[in-house]
Amino acid sequence: MEHAVKPHKRVRRWDKWTPYLFISPWIIGILLFTVGPLIFSLIMSFFDWPVTSSPKFIGLGNYTKMFTEDPQFYKSLLITLKFALFYVPLSLVTSLILAMLISQSVRGVKFFRTIFYLPAVVSGVAVSIIWGWIFNTKYGILNYALFLLGIEGPKWLIDPNSAIITIVIASAWGVGTMMLIFYTNIKSIPPDLYESASIDGAGPIRQFTHVTLPLITPTIFFNLITSTISALQQLTLVLLLTNGGPLKSTYFYGLFVYNNAFKHHKLGYASANAWFMFIIILLLTALIFKSSNAWVFYENEVKKERKKGGKKK
Amino acid sequence: MLETKRRSWFVVIILTMLFLSACGSGGAGSSSDEGQSGKATIRFATWDSEENLTLQQGLVDKFNEAHPDIQVSLEAYGSEYDTKIAAGMGAKDAPDVMYMWNYPTYKDALEPLDSYLEKEGADFKNNYYETLWNYNSADGKVLGLPVGYTTHVVYYNKDLFDKANVPYPKSDWTWDDLQAAAKKLNNPDESISGFAFSGTPDPYDFEMFLWGNGTAYVDDSGKTQGSLNSQKSVDVLTMFQNMLKDGYAITTEGSGSTEMKSGKVAMFTNGAWSIGSLKEAGINFGIVELPSFKDGSAVSIVSSSGISMSKDSKNKDAAWEFIKFWTSEEANKARLDYELPVLKSVVESEKLQDDELKKVFYHMLEMSEGYTPASFKVENWSEMSEKLALVFEQIFNPSTLMDPKAVLDDAAE
Amino acid sequence: MKLSSWHKIVVYILLIGFSIYFLFPFIWIVLTALKSEAEVHQYPITFFPSEFRFENFVNAWKAQPFGLYFMNSVTITVLTTLGQIISCSLIAYGFARYDFKFKNGLFILLLATMMIPWDVTMIPLYMQFNLFGWINTLKPLIVPAFFGSAYYVFLLRQFLMNVPKDLEHAAKIDGANDFQIYSRIFVPIMKAPLTLIAVLNMLSVWNDYLGPLIFLQDRMKYTLALGLASFKGVHELQILPIMAITIIMIIPPVIAFLYAQKYIVEGISGAIK
Repeated sequence: MEHAVKPHKRVRRWDKWTPYLFISPWIIGILLFTVGPLIFSLIMSFFDWPVTSSPKFIGLGNYTKMFTEDPQFYKSLLITLKFALFYVPLSLVTSLILAMLISQSVRGVKFFRTIFYLPAVVSGVAVSIIWGWIFNTKYGILNYALFLLGIEGPKWLIDPNSAIITIVIASAWGVGTMMLIFYTNIKSIPPDLYESASIDGAGPIRQFTHVTLPLITPTIFFNLITSTISALQQLTLVLLLTNGGPLKSTYFYGLFVYNNAFKHHKLGYASANAWFMFIIILLLTALIFKSSNAWVFYENEVKKERKKGGKKK
Repeated sequence: MLETKRRSWFVVIILTMLFLSACGSGGAGSSSDEGQSGKATIRFATWDSEENLTLQQGLVDKFNEAHPDIQVSLEAYGSEYDTKIAAGMGAKDAPDVMYMWNYPTYKDALEPLDSYLEKEGADFKNNYYETLWNYNSADGKVLGLPVGYTTHVVYYNKDLFDKANVPYPKSDWTWDDLQAAAKKLNNPDESISGFAFSGTPDPYDFEMFLWGNGTAYVDDSGKTQGSLNSQKSVDVLTMFQNMLKDGYAITTEGSGSTEMKSGKVAMFTNGAWSIGSLKEAGINFGIVELPSFKDGSAVSIVSSSGISMSKDSKNKDAAWEFIKFWTSEEANKARLDYELPVLKSVVESEKLQDDELKKVFYHMLEMSEGYTPASFKVENWSEMSEKLALVFEQIFNPSTLMDPKAVLDDAAE
Repeated sequence: MKLSSWHKIVVYILLIGFSIYFLFPFIWIVLTALKSEAEVHQYPITFFPSEFRFENFVNAWKAQPFGLYFMNSVTITVLTTLGQIISCSLIAYGFARYDFKFKNGLFILLLATMMIPWDVTMIPLYMQFNLFGWINTLKPLIVPAFFGSAYYVFLLRQFLMNVPKDLEHAAKIDGANDFQIYSRIFVPIMKAPLTLIAVLNMLSVWNDYLGPLIFLQDRMKYTLALGLASFKGVHELQILPIMAITIIMIIPPVIAFLYAQKYIVEGISGAIK
């Protein structure tokens, strides 16, 4: 980093350490609370550990078992990837639409803003119970309402084909967090940019694609990465709502790991499962990160590039 | 400039110290006052949820008052009980005393209690129903004292029976009787179902139907081949599947108690857990023994709850003292409202054999003597259970309704 | 800016359409909480309670020491939010506004910590906290927040990356040191995203169930979320208290959100100009 004005020498010696000082809380935190357990779990993945008794070293045994002997591993992996492929774009688009809606200057928008955010506030325990009820095929309110309308409702949580849709509907309910993140970013866009665009004759859609969208790429990037991670680790909802059923159609990878750890008490095996997923997510994130150079624009980088004559980082 | 710089770093340091002291006090203000001199502290974990919890806390307080040298603290974890216990055991910090039912899974972390029991004399042990000891042991060692139990029974909705003019079921009925009644009770126009059973039954529970028809999941050597896929097993599952196909029975999405509470289900099977909630839901119901199979009998699985001691406990004598209290007559009586007592003397003194509802569970218990669940016979029950759960779903799920024989043959491989 | 009327109509149709989806389960929770146990399960379903039973709320609250749980939840939430705001703003500032050796490597490491599945690190973490003597205290739930959380640092960094670089150059020329630039120029700029972080953190900590489940033992130290969960037994659940406590638990985060809204609406723009 080049400074416009160079401070004198004694201070410069400190300058080298300034950024590290800023991030030092995180470095201390990671050393204190993360590194130990992480290494521990990596080591455990080479052990047979039934929780209640002492671990036995088995080398790569857990990994070979996972790849060669456990068909559920591949099935769960596939279900999870499918879910993520479906859910991530859906939630991104929905939350962006919602964020755009609540940043319109229409009457009562504050009220709607609160409504959209409300579901994200409801605790997971109650959410799963209430959805289980609503979707009960025989005695649930949803099919009852459909019945009153003369429609025979689908077997929501009984039919494997509709179960995954049910999960998507239920998990999209909590999209309020992502919406709020988009919203905060949209609100930070200087209004004069819109004004000048509208003077240039741009309609609402053009304003969105030419002003809003480019300026919120950093948060799109953020939401893309975090929702990919959470989709691949989705556990709470399937654990409480379907427990993997019907016919294992929602037996997500997160549930697979959780059951191996706490139902089958194979902590070593579960660690191996978890580490595999960890690496997959890491690679996926790296991929998104690599691609981000092409579509994410940061204000401070744009400026830098301009100054340094378009030097790529 | 140098000075302002120094001063601002000073501010950073002060701030950092502030955070640390803030969280320090946050922790300290709430840190426990344990470690009082000379007192043995006992952590006691329960899976029971509210209502019962208030009662249990009262019992614990009573024990603490009577034992000035022991301090028991009650910990309640609700439905995630197993996760908490497993985490505690993995970290070698399990509660000293805990509720337990799944002995085969946890056996290595539990203290065998045979030597403790011996000291108490034979009468102590004989006061329990014998069947329950099987359910509270593993590998021939007693690992827990029975606290409560339930057998499975048929709940029936009296109002629906009255409306359809069907006589209430009697204790020596058969599955044919149940089916005949269900057919008469079933009324699609009013969304009334004759019989309901779980479409995703817990394999541990479902084995009782195989027992009733004279078979089991595994033979004595733990092999599934020839047992799980025996003709008798196939018959049981075919019978259940046919009830669905004929349309007078439904599968439920949970245990079935939600559906039963709607007042639109005439009969379903469950343990004693539903008594309280069905009463609260205002259902006018009766309870009857499970029906028996034509060439077999009526047998129920026992869902037992026991109380165990952690192997790593540092105060084993105090823990045993508390376990004895928790299984005493006094405690059994105190829990009468929500738990079926396991002591013969209490059943006698409280005249439970004359209780219209409760006597059914005791009768069912007597009829179910001498059976050992597969979970005690095979090493990897939790995995087998997961496989069986899928088998049942394939047979009962309306979108598959697979042929029982084919599925069971496949599963027994 | 004037909106055309067809634009407005489209906006309202979408707003109302989404509201039904978002509100319906919520309304269902409220209506359920006001019914009697018998009516909850009745079929055909009655939509509105025949009698509004507000005593359900009182009964649920009295069933456990919820006043105490409430205080514990508040303590944890307030302290972690404070911790996250202070630590994350420092860390994100470091990552967003400086170039330094190992920056990219460290940032990838930061992101990686978001991907660690808790199932397998939970037990070693338990052991570690046990070693510190922190089990059965609120410390494991509070202290880590003072060392930042990857999610919020990442979020904040994304915002900071969007602030023009000229800003600190100008300040540097004026003779401000690094910490002054951070505290006097950037903290005000970060007001909107920091508010957002406070809201998000409050929410996740308030509803967190697993952390308290694993690290707490004594019932006197339980949080609201843990108290709520203990209405759910292994075989039966008590539906009325669950719904009632759920509704009570919603109130504080919603109030906080309503209060925070105005800081978010102000946005970064105001601060820069």
